Amino acid sequence: MDNLDYIENYFTNTPGTDLTREFEERIKSDPGFAEEVAFYLAAQEVSKEASGLEKKQRFKETYQKNRVVRSVPIKKLIYYIATAAVVSGLIFGTYTFLRPVSPQQLAVQYEKEQLQSLPVTMSGHSDSLQTGLRLYNDEKFSEALAQFENILRSDSSVFTAKKYAGISALRLKEYDRALSYFEEMATRQGLYSNPAQILQAVTLMERNKPGDAAKAKQLLQDIVSNDLEGKEYAEKWLKKW
Amino acid sequence: MDSAGSNRYTDQELIDQLRQSGTDKRRSEEQLFNRFVYFIREGMTKHALSEDESFNAYSDTILAALDNINKEHFEARASIKTYLYQIFHNKCVDLLRKRTTNKNTVHRAETISDRLMQLSDSARSIVQTLIDKADWNRLREKLNALEEMCRQILLFWGDNYSDKEIASFLQYKTADVVKTSRLRCLERLRKLYKTE
Repeated sequence: MDNLDYIENYFTNTPGTDLTREFEERIKSDPGFAEEVAFYLAAQEVSKEASGLEKKQRFKETYQKNRVVRSVPIKKLIYYIATAAVVSGLIFGTYTFLRPVSPQQLAVQYEKEQLQSLPVTMSGHSDSLQTGLRLYNDEKFSEALAQFENILRSDSSVFTAKKYAGISALRLKEYDRALSYFEEMATRQGLYSNPAQILQAVTLMERNKPGDAAKAKQLLQDIVSNDLEGKEYAEKWLKKW
Repeated sequence: MDSAGSNRYTDQELIDQLRQSGTDKRRSEEQLFNRFVYFIREGMTKHALSEDESFNAYSDTILAALDNINKEHFEARASIKTYLYQIFHNKCVDLLRKRTTNKNTVHRAETISDRLMQLSDSARSIVQTLIDKADWNRLREKLNALEEMCRQILLFWGDNYSDKEIASFLQYKTADVVKTSRLRCLERLRKLYKTE
């Protein structure tokens, strides 16, 4: 570890002439040290690459979420759509406002829009998480859940496996099991994106036991006030509540 | 995170946000992605790419642009849109070429060479030879086999986050604690990589 610290200091600070000479001499005279330098650079590159893949995965999720809206041809149809929207909006709006929507219906709608299929990496690279996702997308929710739980047995901290295990349990209507995964996810800090709260709210809304609706409402209010993932849904639902 | 939201920012505001640290930076990355996401459709119509190929070209474009913006290689002589479109167009052409010639481009050397240039020719050549011999797939596999916290630290490091930023993301007490943990993780990765 001392060598790695030394190597890192060389690459991250501006080394003086003496340090540069000493560092380069060691590379030339000590093959083990040269190998550590090569490893340090390669490890940083592989970490960068893995980080890029995670970003791509995040972009993919965002893209898939908005895809339906985007695939509508825009330019030619825009005027027709605008006119149709005004007319149908008036009719539908009146109808919608007069007809209350239950939290359970909202949750089912969310499932249809967001959880119908989960994003599989396009690289063709096959690993246990991808296998689970494929099973899920084939609607083999029990097998998918078993696969994600298998991953969690070897490493209980894999966040994505926890998320997908919870979602699979939700699709199987195993609400208590789903909630336990989402509650564990909620304790995880430092993530850019954590849908734990919106998923907990959806599960409670769908389970609909006494007290569930109130808990779900509280979660939705937290999502809105803390600007968390799922805010658009939370705002929309709270208006209808 | 809607694309409309990102359109409210000028190019300079978006660049400033991308150059700042912390969670806001990650949010801005997504805003940049959403802002020009319609390029994907253009890749499909103008270059006859499949949706997956066009998505890959577009997300690689965003990753390359983020890297250049962070390293301050992007000089804002053209608008972000023009700049991104140029990269995207090149990536689409690369994909088409790859499809017809079945050649893969290796981009890896680019980043490493920045670091290697700090070394004199003779030292650089020794390290370069060793890097060329590295088993990249094995290294990737071992990185993924590290425990999650270690992997996360190394990914943040690979993404050029400072130890101070990593400390705030992962709730470590200080940047020094992150540095010690990070070097331990690297050492663990090295041992995993070395042992059969």
